[in-house]
Amino acid sequence: MISVIQKKNRKFKEINYYQNHDVSNYFLLPFRFQKINSKTEILVNEVGDFLLVPVGTAEQIILKKLDKIKDEDLYLDLISNFFISEEVIPPLLNILEARYRTKKSFLDHFTALHIFVISLRCEHTCHYCQVSRVTENKDEFDMSLYHIDEGIKIMMHSPNPHITMEFQGGEALLAFNNIKYAVLKAKEEALLYEKHMTFVICTNLAPLTDDMLPFIKEHNIMISSSLDGPAFIHNQNRHRPQRNSYEVTIEGLNKCRAILGEDNISALLTTTNLSLDYPTEIVEEYVKQGFSNIFLRPISPYGFATYNEKKNKYQTEKFLTFYKSAFEKIIDYNKKGYYIREDYATVILKKILTSFPVGYVDLQSPAGMINNVIVFNYDGKIYASDEARMLAEMNDFTFQLGILGQSTYNEIFYGKKAMEIAENWTNESLAGCSECAFQSYCGADPVLNHATQGNMYGYRPTNVFCQKNMEIIRYLFDLMEDKSIEKIFRSWITGHSE
Amino acid sequence: MKNIVTLINNELHFSLNEQLYDEDVVFKCFYWYGTDYNVEIDKKDNVFFVKISSKSETKIDHDHLLIKIKQDLIDFKLRDIVTKETKNIRELLTAKAFAHFETDENPVTEISDPIGFDPTNF
Repeated sequence: MISVIQKKNRKFKEINYYQNHDVSNYFLLPFRFQKINSKTEILVNEVGDFLLVPVGTAEQIILKKLDKIKDEDLYLDLISNFFISEEVIPPLLNILEARYRTKKSFLDHFTALHIFVISLRCEHTCHYCQVSRVTENKDEFDMSLYHIDEGIKIMMHSPNPHITMEFQGGEALLAFNNIKYAVLKAKEEALLYEKHMTFVICTNLAPLTDDMLPFIKEHNIMISSSLDGPAFIHNQNRHRPQRNSYEVTIEGLNKCRAILGEDNISALLTTTNLSLDYPTEIVEEYVKQGFSNIFLRPISPYGFATYNEKKNKYQTEKFLTFYKSAFEKIIDYNKKGYYIREDYATVILKKILTSFPVGYVDLQSPAGMINNVIVFNYDGKIYASDEARMLAEMNDFTFQLGILGQSTYNEIFYGKKAMEIAENWTNESLAGCSECAFQSYCGADPVLNHATQGNMYGYRPTNVFCQKNMEIIRYLFDLMEDKSIEKIFRSWITGHSE
Repeated sequence: MKNIVTLINNELHFSLNEQLYDEDVVFKCFYWYGTDYNVEIDKKDNVFFVKISSKSETKIDHDHLLIKIKQDLIDFKLRDIVTKETKNIRELLTAKAFAHFETDENPVTEISDPIGFDPTNF
């Protein structure tokens, strides 16, 4: 949507139009507002359409001080974008309903992403990882064929015709034989249940061998890897006895690109305390390796954050400084003609600039857990999200929904536990979120609230999720006032630079 | 805002008239002060008594805080006006959006014509 500040003209109108001064008796439609900077505030309606206006405009609108003739540009923008109406029920309410339904259409098909923690074994000993085990004991830490079968049964019950089966670890490739079994079995079942399958393996690429690649290629399996930055960061973050994690990752990346194609391999950044001091170097490394995207993910609070308000606030502020420095570098590359997008911002920008929802589970309301993702752990336990199983590794089983082979589909997805979580998973009904201007761009995260604040509902003023998202969304709008940056943002959504 | 008292030991006390700021506005506004402050709200005879103290050792800048509170109260009062005025339309919108979408179907039975004109001609 165009900001009214920059609009230059409107259509020609007859003189009679200007003689009618009696319309300031309009009706408000649901919208929220928030200051973006000292000069500009944002108005956001119920379906996420926005207007950037001078500070004080919201007050003028709400107190019905707007003059249809004097403030014609603004007035017509507000009418046409469902911020106000000249009738109690706007004549085009059906359009607004359809828009609202579209924004929430990620709910239509229910759970798509099914994560199978195929093994907890790993040959890395990363200091931030609470879940992996360095062991040869396959029986204890690999998912059994029985649990794989039961997981596939549950997966095929999903009403969603498009299913993603994602293999995680530990290090998933250490159980490659089980992955092969699971892929073949799932494909067989998918034919029967008419499901369209997508497969993903999350791996650090260290155990990748040449004989694995033909199977991965044959079954169109996507590889999701990790790159934490240049060698001195990556190797420090990801401990291996040989201290060569970076080298094997790059070798694996190149091998995958050559055999599977550029589009079938991606890399994720795990941000650690060390990374926070090197935003520029990390972006440069991604460019050096030829990536056209980078995901600046915040430090995971699981395992160390607990309920320390001060520490959480400090970590969030430090991350935001890191994020903005890295982001400036990314914008700089784009301005120089190298296309590289930041994935977290892209998710938010898609919500801001398009009418459609985004399938990113951490920024949804109702939350992505259960609705879009479910996790089957190596031991057969079922969790509401990946973070929920991390909590379980710290002996907190709050978000365990059932056990494979024992719980029915209804018990897992519509049981008591799911209902309890559901009471806290819509930001429309959470204190602090209900009147927040950024509500439709944000989400709800009961697991994070529970992990960092001790309850699923959460307390927004000291909430890390809220602090991070409020500032990133405000920052994006602030940058968007620069038209050259808005153009770059739009290119991230469309996937091409022009 | 009345009876403003600034205390040296990092506290600020004041009262608010309920006729100007209703309970929703007062509580929603001061909810957000929980980031840096401890807030205590009492009510007596349509007047809210608000006590704000700093959570940290940092000294409260009373003038700055008062300006912020006044602006925030106005903003939350405006938000409250929108919330209350648009409550019905929001409920209607959500209900209709999530109601099962069905197109009107022609009745399968024959259309009756008790007053003598044929509606299928239109």
